[in-house]
Amino acid sequence: MRRFELAALCLAVPAAFAAAWGIDPGLQFLLVEALVLFLMAQMWNLAAGYAGQVSFGQQLFVGAGAYALFAIANATAVPVWVVLAVVPVLVGLAAIPLGMVMFHLKHAYFAIGMWVVAEIAQQLVLITPWLGGTGGLTLRPNGEPMQGFPEQLVLGLALFGSVALVVGLRVFLRTPMGLATLAMRDNPAAAEGAGVDIRRLHLILFALTAAGTALAGAMYYTTTLYTSPLDAFQVNWIVATMFIVVIGGIGTLTGPAIGTVLMITLREVMTAYGFSGDQYWIVMGLISIVTLLFLPRGLWPALQAVLSRPRATT
Amino acid sequence: MLVARGLTRRFGMITAVDAVDLDLAPGDAVGLIGPNGAGKSTLLSLLAGDAPPDAGSFVLDGRSIAHLPLHARVRAGIARAAQIPQTFARLTLRENALLPAQHGARLPARAAQLWADEVLALCGLADKAGSMAGALGLLDRKRLELAKAVAARPRVLLLDEVAAGLTEPEIATIKALVDKLRDGRAVVWVEHIPFALRGTCARLVVMDKGAKLLDGPFDEVWSHPDLQRIYMGVADGRAA
Repeated sequence: MRRFELAALCLAVPAAFAAAWGIDPGLQFLLVEALVLFLMAQMWNLAAGYAGQVSFGQQLFVGAGAYALFAIANATAVPVWVVLAVVPVLVGLAAIPLGMVMFHLKHAYFAIGMWVVAEIAQQLVLITPWLGGTGGLTLRPNGEPMQGFPEQLVLGLALFGSVALVVGLRVFLRTPMGLATLAMRDNPAAAEGAGVDIRRLHLILFALTAAGTALAGAMYYTTTLYTSPLDAFQVNWIVATMFIVVIGGIGTLTGPAIGTVLMITLREVMTAYGFSGDQYWIVMGLISIVTLLFLPRGLWPALQAVLSRPRATT
Repeated sequence: MLVARGLTRRFGMITAVDAVDLDLAPGDAVGLIGPNGAGKSTLLSLLAGDAPPDAGSFVLDGRSIAHLPLHARVRAGIARAAQIPQTFARLTLRENALLPAQHGARLPARAAQLWADEVLALCGLADKAGSMAGALGLLDRKRLELAKAVAARPRVLLLDEVAAGLTEPEIATIKALVDKLRDGRAVVWVEHIPFALRGTCARLVVMDKGAKLLDGPFDEVWSHPDLQRIYMGVADGRAA
């Protein structure tokens, strides 16, 4: 691990504590949402931007994370924070057989196929009484109302988790498996010809991104204390995720951060000026089109190109 | 070292490779030639592992590898340099060579680094090790393609028209390189340019219509009437 990565991790700890106890609850909730979106975006970026697994079904893992958390926490005496740590492991493991089936589909078929799986999961939850059906579930650990201020702890976790994820991804990309991932991004057939077990690598990345997305979903719904199928499995999760990654710069680690800031800022500014409802989605759509027309690789790669351009000497 | 018996590959009604036997020993450098559609490339991809053979056996160092997938074939000791260089444009040359050293040759971290640098030096790319593969010219990309194959430490190195598209002096550098790479391994080189094979390949295999027609010392095969016949279309080889 390089020195500034270690420094970033060390700085993230006091920053997480400060954010958890020094910020007013409204801003805390907003930050939780931003960081959760960032985590999801970074996961989709790893899957789509690096591994080439473009999927329109990321919301499957958001919902799976939320429902796994609520179902386990409500039915057992295990503390919510422990369940929160177990959920990504469970969802990640469940993603392995799913991946083995879904990887028979290629490219657009895989992307749409994942969306279909997410819709099926939503429909199944809607008709399952012990998961609350259409009414959804309230977080009641061991049957009791949730104590304390979950957004404080979740904010601390999400802030530290975001920094740890970026550092972790940087370290990962320097390992042999990370190099194989980067090579797969450039030329999957050649990577296999270099001895990389592409199928296994795809499954590992699929499981990892499923786990990370489930954790982000579980953290988000811990702060809302309530989840429903129409909310947890909604398409908006993947729409926001794709906006953040594609606008920010797919296949880069900095792009999703820029995309997240842009999206949250835009929404907050627009609501502050009285644009109600979902009008910001229209503006976001326009921004997407303009960006993709003029900066098809996203904002961060374009910014990098400008910054690294040699200046004229005269 | 490598023993292939009755390798066959069919595409529908067409038999692209028809019961080919091939034996390779360490240090062998085999030129593989034949007219278009003779089955050279298909044979090479059967050896490399793009697809399993429809029939036949294929043993490397006593281990049957006919049904191993591509990546396992590389780990077992067969690597191919493709006709069109399959490099990783957004990785440095060192990383391009490091990947097969780590995953193909399965070397631990430090050893893989050293081996990748050694292979780059061998292929005359040491001074460019830190630059991106996407910025290379054709000759250097061909060299890098060779370096990637060698970095996997193959027992059998398959070369698929690696000289195609190069000028004569460039081919000479590739030939010198292949001579150096032959040490301790077998090389099978498919090429349309006889100039490239002469001097480097002591043995020549001629394929025609999916079958192995001739196999022997270069000069003997080169002057064989059958070779003249299939290339020149002369009925009884009198043109020789």
